[in-house]
Amino acid sequence: MTSPTDIGAAPQQDGDAGGTTEPFGLGSSPLRSDALPKALGIYPYAADLWAEGLLWGAVLRSPHPHARILGIDTSAALALPGVHAVVTATDLPAGPDGSPDGAPSGPIVADRPVLAAGVVRHHGEPVAAVAADHPDTARLAVGLIVVEYEPLEAVTDPEQAFTAPPLHPDGNLFRHLPLRTGDPDAAGEIIVEGLYQVGRQDPAPLGAEAGLAVPRPDGGVELHLSSTDPHGDRDRTATCLGLEPDRVRLVVTGVPGATSDREDLSFQVTLALLALRTGRPVKMTLTREESFHTHTSRHPALLRYRHHADADGTLVKVEAQILLDGGAYADVSAEALAAATAFSVGPYNCPNVFVDAWAVRTNNPPAGRMRGEGALQACFAYESQLDQLAARIGVDPVEVRRRNVMATGDPLPTGQAVTCPAPVAALLDAVAAEPLPALPVDDPDAEWLLPGGPGGAGDPAAVRRGIGYALGMVHMLGAEGEDEVATATVRVSGDHATVICAAVDAGQGFATLARQIVQSVLGVSEVYIAPADSDQAVAGPAARGRHTWVSGGAVERAALMVRHQLLQPIAADFGMSVELLQIAEGKITSYDGVLGMPVAEALEGKELWATAQCRPHPTEPLDEAGQGDAFVSIAFCAMRAVVDVDIELGAVRVVEVTVAQEVGRALNPRQIEDRIEAGVAQGVGLALLEDLRTEGGVLANPSLTGYRLPTALDTPEIRVAALLEERDVVAPFGAKAVSAVPAVTAPAAVAAAVRAATGLPVGRLPIRPEDAVTG
Amino acid sequence: MLPASLDEAVEALAAHPAAVPVAGATDLMEAVNAGRLRPASLVGLGRITELRGWRYEDGGTAVLGAGLTHARMDRPDFAALIPALADAARTAGPPQVRNVGTLGGNIATAAPAGDTLPVLAALEASVTLARAGATREVPVSHLLTGLDPLRPGELLTWVRVPLLHAPQVFLKATGRSGPARATASVALVLDPARRAVRCAVGAVAPVPLRPLEAEAWVAGCIDWDGSREIDPAATAAFGEYVAAACVPDGYGAEGAWEAVTEGPSAAAVRLRRTVAVLARRALGRALK
Repeated sequence: MTSPTDIGAAPQQDGDAGGTTEPFGLGSSPLRSDALPKALGIYPYAADLWAEGLLWGAVLRSPHPHARILGIDTSAALALPGVHAVVTATDLPAGPDGSPDGAPSGPIVADRPVLAAGVVRHHGEPVAAVAADHPDTARLAVGLIVVEYEPLEAVTDPEQAFTAPPLHPDGNLFRHLPLRTGDPDAAGEIIVEGLYQVGRQDPAPLGAEAGLAVPRPDGGVELHLSSTDPHGDRDRTATCLGLEPDRVRLVVTGVPGATSDREDLSFQVTLALLALRTGRPVKMTLTREESFHTHTSRHPALLRYRHHADADGTLVKVEAQILLDGGAYADVSAEALAAATAFSVGPYNCPNVFVDAWAVRTNNPPAGRMRGEGALQACFAYESQLDQLAARIGVDPVEVRRRNVMATGDPLPTGQAVTCPAPVAALLDAVAAEPLPALPVDDPDAEWLLPGGPGGAGDPAAVRRGIGYALGMVHMLGAEGEDEVATATVRVSGDHATVICAAVDAGQGFATLARQIVQSVLGVSEVYIAPADSDQAVAGPAARGRHTWVSGGAVERAALMVRHQLLQPIAADFGMSVELLQIAEGKITSYDGVLGMPVAEALEGKELWATAQCRPHPTEPLDEAGQGDAFVSIAFCAMRAVVDVDIELGAVRVVEVTVAQEVGRALNPRQIEDRIEAGVAQGVGLALLEDLRTEGGVLANPSLTGYRLPTALDTPEIRVAALLEERDVVAPFGAKAVSAVPAVTAPAAVAAAVRAATGLPVGRLPIRPEDAVTG
Repeated sequence: MLPASLDEAVEALAAHPAAVPVAGATDLMEAVNAGRLRPASLVGLGRITELRGWRYEDGGTAVLGAGLTHARMDRPDFAALIPALADAARTAGPPQVRNVGTLGGNIATAAPAGDTLPVLAALEASVTLARAGATREVPVSHLLTGLDPLRPGELLTWVRVPLLHAPQVFLKATGRSGPARATASVALVLDPARRAVRCAVGAVAPVPLRPLEAEAWVAGCIDWDGSREIDPAATAAFGEYVAAACVPDGYGAEGAWEAVTEGPSAAAVRLRRTVAVLARRALGRALK
């Protein structure tokens, strides 16, 4: 078999094709396959689905963050003409432990009921659902369901969760993770302390949750929705419905882009239950407000840090306490906590680290997966600490970082050696060496460049510029012993190839990448990507940069197996080894140029199939001292943010963000830049705007008017200073995932820049105008 | 119902008093989609072209059609006429909203953060309310405060704005660069003929507020006959004056306008600072 490093030969060919053909193979930048349909408005989203005779679903949600359900009266709703079914928790099949209200569910810990039974634990928790022949009838019927609540005291302060009465039979503590390494008595000459707070960022996907459930004649159900984890969602749905997993099929339809898990379980199980109950297809489209209620958000965090350093700024000891508010249900809080703990010091060397981290249950909306969960919160805190340290010893922030950065082979505080490439110093140098943007000019035509935006109240005399640096890191793939595996099938027939893989392209561009991989290996330009569904082999969730690595690796292996099947008979005919043949532009050629056979001819009308798996090396859970080889690989990024702050009004404009990132190998450079821009935009959003506020556990702004997403005017000029390509030997193609780490680093960089502009401590994200007003 | 003229629209409203007039629908449809509003019927005003422009009256007044869109008000010809209204229209939202959202709609919705409202308050504009066979003239502030509300079957048709031929400024603070709802806004107009400064603060209360004493005080500080200069200290003091007048000590708490004994709340201090900066900058720009 050809080694992975050999298959980069193909892209060189597209240079001499005269520029007429589409970019081709790894290392080139073809357009994303869904880009045109989405831009033209012809891309079919889940909300566009239709089935003959379908009913419409609607969900009743709890108005209380914490209440006991004394009774539910559905008779009025059932009596409404046009209503076909009303379901509550008692309609769910008994759980495996015999609980009458159905099996709880969740990605790691099953603690979340599909429909609340007995008690509601967060505002917006689903209590009942209706299927009716018109969406308005369904919503009307939802309004007719009478639920008698006895409001209970809501625990909304995560610090109160430890002493509050248990909100759930599983208790209020999701996980406590202590990390101890080095000498607890070590002390430095310089001590800096800080308390940092991160708000609740919501993924706010522009496409709200929508789906269609169709009952099957065999008693099963088919779900059409934009899941990012078809198999996980299928299995959890089957468990909740008391069905065999084979009887549930999940077809992935029209994912409108996701930076977190899409589709929460209560949505799809309820949908499936309504379809099974009525025997008719049921469609449900959530409103924007419901969408904010239903999907998980980023963990709000409270971080207390104490850094000890020598007089020259070398880190001696880091002590930290990290508290993540996991909300009402566990979701992936334990995993987010592991990332926050393991990366609590950042990409810096420190011999003595003592961290206590907790993830707790409250009556706030559940938090879950969202780009760099855990790592982002820690990054804001440790970078803020380094800025403080730099200010204390009177050294440039870049210099203090330079004195402490880790390099390949250095250990994490968890004891794991960073064996993947970690050229952190080179990244920092790359952003620091970039020229700075021009200063704002006192010119009326440039008025729109002032903080506050075009036509705003900006006054050049009150504007201060600040420059901030940040380094970020985040792990890739599942951590702490999670079994990571993906399976893919590649088929070649005629002049085209097909990839069958259940990896969902949630906007990260996996479909485009899979096409490039097959193009590189098999030399065919036409590659189709089959739609993902749960009848295909498992590829796992689209999260933590998995698919580039695991599913991309599986696609590559399958393609290589097909290549071998294709070339072996030819090689045997010509008496040469397979390695001496190559495929390019649809033609098989030998090293000496004697052979030149089109792929279609070599196939002789046959179809070649191969299926392969990719399973990266195993990891281990963190032990009771937070030690262990918990991560497969880590991505690094350096960022410089330049901001203008109106110090009287507190308006902040991010002028420019410069990024240097370590990508292993750039498989699709343009797509990488897209992902970096997306990550920075999301990070800037968290730094300045995005905050899903709760008042006593009740969502205060569940709308796109109240929840402020960054617009084009809020998003800075984003420049990629360097994409360092140092191949990660254990990764397929040597490539690292790119999407999460810019989002992790950007908030810290913006905060550092605002700190530099205003001289204020900036210990809270998002930065409110009042946090940036001086005097 | 899609009347083609003003008379038809008024007749339609008279025939169906429960019908809701709709122009740009940027506020109305949001309420309908959120389920807060279920109008029995709608009277579409989109075809009434006469309401989409403006005319002059007595040489000193512009009569603006209620159907003027924000995008239209932002154009240079209009901006030369009533600069503050053009400024407010420019910042009122994203282009999609400004292209359809109308002046009349902004007044009828009467949202606390409605961007044109403080400008109309500062200009002491009045509106014409038409019903079958009769019209009446009501000051914008009376309409907004509910002193003289819109009656059933009445349609807001014209907005009468005095032409002052002097600098006008509208400033708003939003905390971001992109379009957003104001946390506070200030409209300030100079009226050299009457040697007056008129100012209104938006978004801090349900209706725009006029700091009348501050206006009168600052008008006395301006050298009206000369280059209209003012002592920078007076500009700063004006800002503080306006802020103190418009933001009560108990801002953000229940019963904010009642007497508070323990001094201004943190929210009040923050908002006052913002309003003071806006008012100071607005006056500075107007006198520049």
